Amino acid sequence: MIQIEKVVKRFGASTVLDGVDLVVQPGEVVAILGASGSGKSTLVRCVNGLEQLDGGRITVDGHDVSDARQLRAARRISATVFQLFNLYPHMTAVQNVALAPVEVLKLPRRQAEQDARALLASVGLAERADAFPAQLSGGQRQRVGICRALAMQPRYLLLDEVTSALDPEMTADVLAILARLAAQGTTMMFVTHEIAFARQIASRIVFLDQGRLLVDLPTAAFFAPDGGLALPRIAQFLSKMTTV
Amino acid sequence: MRYTDFTPYDLVLLLQGLGVSVGLFVATTLLGGAIGLTWALLRYYRVPVLAHVAAALAELLKNSPVLVQLFLVFFGLPVLLQTDLTPVQAALITLSGNTAAFLYVIAVSSIEAVGREQLETARVFGLTRWQVLRHVVAPQAAAFALGPLTGLLVNQLQVTSLVAVVGVLDLTKMGVILNLRTLKPFIVWTVVGVLYYLMAKLIARLCGALETRLRAHGTSKGMA
Repeated sequence: MIQIEKVVKRFGASTVLDGVDLVVQPGEVVAILGASGSGKSTLVRCVNGLEQLDGGRITVDGHDVSDARQLRAARRISATVFQLFNLYPHMTAVQNVALAPVEVLKLPRRQAEQDARALLASVGLAERADAFPAQLSGGQRQRVGICRALAMQPRYLLLDEVTSALDPEMTADVLAILARLAAQGTTMMFVTHEIAFARQIASRIVFLDQGRLLVDLPTAAFFAPDGGLALPRIAQFLSKMTTV
Repeated sequence: MRYTDFTPYDLVLLLQGLGVSVGLFVATTLLGGAIGLTWALLRYYRVPVLAHVAAALAELLKNSPVLVQLFLVFFGLPVLLQTDLTPVQAALITLSGNTAAFLYVIAVSSIEAVGREQLETARVFGLTRWQVLRHVVAPQAAAFALGPLTGLLVNQLQVTSLVAVVGVLDLTKMGVILNLRTLKPFIVWTVVGVLYYLMAKLIARLCGALETRLRAHGTSKGMA
């Protein structure tokens, strides 16, 4: 369980997260929506320990991410997929995927690379397994990014606008993979601008507005006229998103 | 035969001098490289006090003339420490320090050239700071560093010629000796210059080959 309690994060004078509470249970797929600058990505960066909290507490299966030792345990059971892929440019796709399993999980290299190839094949990259990131398209890179996260066999998958840097066709490829993972029961917390997609795979939708958590509703209720849409801020946001 | 004529033995002398120069270059590159890298590591791990000491030392060494440093070591250090230093020892100390200072600068800027997101990503995946350095930062930084490093090494080879002043029998000193005997400066210094040139080209060629290998992953952001 990812437990976010009254989390506050400030950058200088501006408060990016202002007392956010959120719980993600195993098996849940939670979509985080909100306008740019609402604090969505920062929330993910707080969960994986890339930002220090200015208040509140985040635990991942009880491991407090503000404590260095517990953060290591928290990172061991969660994995992140990044908006700009962040692949290691000097490593092939297989090496990108196998690095952490070898170094952190201490798997034998041969086995880790075998697993990596199988994962890459499962996202249609069997032929590109030995290519360097620079030789891959954006969509292919992000699929490698997803494999790299899955290779850690995480209990929680954190996804930060993973399709924002992709064109529509590549976006569809990546979303299809995420939909499959969701159907398999992978626990996900994902920040997205793809409203239709969130509606399709999320079990719950959370809406952030100026660092505050405005609503936290089951997906059906969020899109119901008497649910999330009853709130003017959300109706306004959704009406601006042509994809709905 | 007049004493000013060239003899076949002169060639042996020149090659001996070349050997001393190259030996000095290789030794001080390895020694200085190790020291410079250690300083860069102190900075990477943000070791208190020592990281600042390293930065200050590098700053001092790279902003003063090598010849002055050499005199300080050769004439000054024995007085300070009440010991004797041979010219070769003084040369080793001075040139190693100088190489270390410039290597430190190259290492630090190359490490900083690796994107912050690369470190963050590796950390999020649970790699320790050492694992991040070893598998993610160092290979990328090395690729950034090779260009400046080639320039540094070629330059440090030329800098070894300064040690002739304190009596090390390097290539330049052999040139001095031959020049005094033969009184044919144009020929002597041309041959000496060509020998330095050939060594410099060899160093650049070796670095170039290494660079090609390190950048085998082709073009990606900032690493073209």
